[in-house]
Amino acid sequence: MRIQIKKFLDTILSSVEGSPAFYVWISFLTTLVALGAYALLMSLIHSMEILEFYTNIPWEMMVSNYVFLVGSSIGLCLVSSLGYVFGLQRYEIIGKRALFLALITVILGLSSIGLHLGHPVRGAIYNALTPNMGSAMWYMGTLYPPYIAFIALWFWLLARAELAKTATESEGLKAKAYRLMAMEGLKPYLYQRLPLQKLGEKLNRLLPLERAGLGLDSDGVELRWARIIGTLAFIYALLAYTVEGSLFAHTEARPFWYGALYPVDFYLGASFCGFAWLLAAGIVTYKVKGDDIPAKLRDLFYEMAEILALLLSVGLLFTAYKMGHGLFESAKAETIMLLLKGPFSPAFWMIEIAIGIVFPVFILLYSARKRKMAGVLVASIMVLVGYFVKRYDFVVASQVYPLIKRQYPLHSYLPTFMEVLLISGIIAALLLAYTLGVKFLPLKEEMPIPRAITK
Amino acid sequence: MDKRANRIDRRCFLKLLAGVPTFVALRSVGIVYAETRRYGKLVDLGRCIGCKRCMSACKRWNGLIVERDELITDRETDLTANNWTVVNLLFDSRNRTRKTYIHWACQHCIKPACAGACPVTAITKLPGGPVVINEKKCIGCRYCFQACPFKVPRFDFEKRVTRKCHMCYDRIPLLNYMKPACVAACPVGALLFDYKDEIIREAKRRVQRRGGSSYIMGLTEAGGTDMVTILPTIPQDLGLVVAPEKVVNRNLDKIRITAAGFMGASFLTALMYIYATLTRDKQESAHEDPD
Ligand code: SF4
Ligand code: SF4
Repeated sequence: MRIQIKKFLDTILSSVEGSPAFYVWISFLTTLVALGAYALLMSLIHSMEILEFYTNIPWEMMVSNYVFLVGSSIGLCLVSSLGYVFGLQRYEIIGKRALFLALITVILGLSSIGLHLGHPVRGAIYNALTPNMGSAMWYMGTLYPPYIAFIALWFWLLARAELAKTATESEGLKAKAYRLMAMEGLKPYLYQRLPLQKLGEKLNRLLPLERAGLGLDSDGVELRWARIIGTLAFIYALLAYTVEGSLFAHTEARPFWYGALYPVDFYLGASFCGFAWLLAAGIVTYKVKGDDIPAKLRDLFYEMAEILALLLSVGLLFTAYKMGHGLFESAKAETIMLLLKGPFSPAFWMIEIAIGIVFPVFILLYSARKRKMAGVLVASIMVLVGYFVKRYDFVVASQVYPLIKRQYPLHSYLPTFMEVLLISGIIAALLLAYTLGVKFLPLKEEMPIPRAITK
Repeated sequence: MDKRANRIDRRCFLKLLAGVPTFVALRSVGIVYAETRRYGKLVDLGRCIGCKRCMSACKRWNGLIVERDELITDRETDLTANNWTVVNLLFDSRNRTRKTYIHWACQHCIKPACAGACPVTAITKLPGGPVVINEKKCIGCRYCFQACPFKVPRFDFEKRVTRKCHMCYDRIPLLNYMKPACVAACPVGALLFDYKDEIIREAKRRVQRRGGSSYIMGLTEAGGTDMVTILPTIPQDLGLVVAPEKVVNRNLDKIRITAAGFMGASFLTALMYIYATLTRDKQESAHEDPD
């Protein structure tokens, strides 16, 4: 029976691409994105109230979604830096997929917070004009743009050679588009317009780029630049996510968030999110395309599954410590009880702990030992769901506890319909971007061409 | 030679020893001096009759709309973007027969946490006392709401900015020492507006005259606020959460927390490094595989 079901699923999945199912999937996602856009438009035309309704709970699902997506991006960046920054060659093959995912998650995460702001454009302007150096949010706004730029550049450096190859192999509009993406043909143009030769010479005199193997025409230059950009991206990722955790941890007036534990907790979360995203996205893509997972990648996936299990167990210990520690602080204890016993307890025990951590640990260990891909896939999706709910609880639970009037009941909160539409639009946009990326960009786990050349 | 150096050191030390208290004394003089230059608002709940004229005066001066039925006496209301000040009936939890009205608004903290949190410095503490949000600059991130120990700022969904009481800073200099709209409207003198030192003196005088269990809120809460409230009993009994005594907006504390984050980051980097070094052999052999 099980085998039959599996066969059935496999046939469906493997026949998807280029088949009606693929188009159904694309149009389903597009519809969700359109509905999200509709919600956004209505909020612009009428009032923001349709998105975020509660005056007492100023940060709602849009913020938790943002924290989730950006955390995923940071985690993915950490995983890909294992290959390019820390020199683990077997991780280099997953670099492109990880970086592409990191790029789209951070962009959609930031659009999630951007739509939550009353005036995003004003935000960009005054963040630069009148900074408040004491505010974590200012650092956040300042650190993410360079982070995105570095991630994008890093991905481009790894994918450029393959894009150029696709361009030469195809013709017509497609070739043009790929040439544009690979920025082929830009070089002669720039050489014509700008005194690049002279600039290059000057730069070479100032910085010994040529000698360090970073000159424009040296072999494997892209890989070396990828290392440098990767290191910068890694540093920015750490800075940005420290600030992200501190943003919550600084608010002394929200006892549940306050304290030095959350910045650390955010890292833990980000790191297991990174592994989980990569496992889930990678395995699903291979299954849907009906391709065989290369042996090397298979090994790597099982190794990553084991690491993920280890990280999750550390996360469980840390959660226990955090909660136990908080129970001894009178200000925090009440909010923590909301999670342990109150209205948030089903979400906390069932999803955050059971589905998000405990079950996946066992499933991951079991399937890594028995070498079962399906188990790894299911577990990593469970981890992602658990982490999404964890961030939701983290943002909302702290705010529903009324601080001013104890005589009030708890503030109630449920996402509004339009808010749900917008969030699902954002998630759908993420999946859509990934689907298109898989179709059109070189995300496949092979050695990046620059590495192949140097070998 | 050595000895002499030592002596000078000792003298220096003595100077320092004398200097520290002088500095502290001068500092407190400075604070006291500042209090004679800064305005404050006194709310005497012993006199408040709950007529909500302060609320309607506030709405009139600031051009705020009436949202629902908030101006009806005894109707429970919450602060919103159009209710910068509210009057509510509170019960004493120890003695349910004892009720009191409370006039609640931004407390105009001396060291406002909201201003410390705002990423674009849209919030400023004016030298005269009011804490004011610049609505042309506010980006609507609502971080100030999270930071405020009294949970005062509210988001205006139409204008997409955060708004709150600004102690009618636009009346004070304009009309040459006029009172804020709410103070001018109060028919029973439950609200008072004056220099801060006068306000504190008056509050203490009233409490002394009245005796009993009156409590002055705003002297120490959140490091002191420029709105001072005389409560009939301690805030906990009325269901008001007491704000912490210390200043909420402390940069050193923020640095401490962020530093913990950086420690976590370095730890993570170290772990990744160790993982990379320990398992590099595996990869070498994996690469030898003829593919
Ligand atoms: S009460 Fe809140 S809004 Fe008012 S000054 Fe203090 S921190 Fe700012
Ligand atoms: S909501 Fe406006 S005033 Fe408040 S912190 Fe954000 S930008 Fe500053």
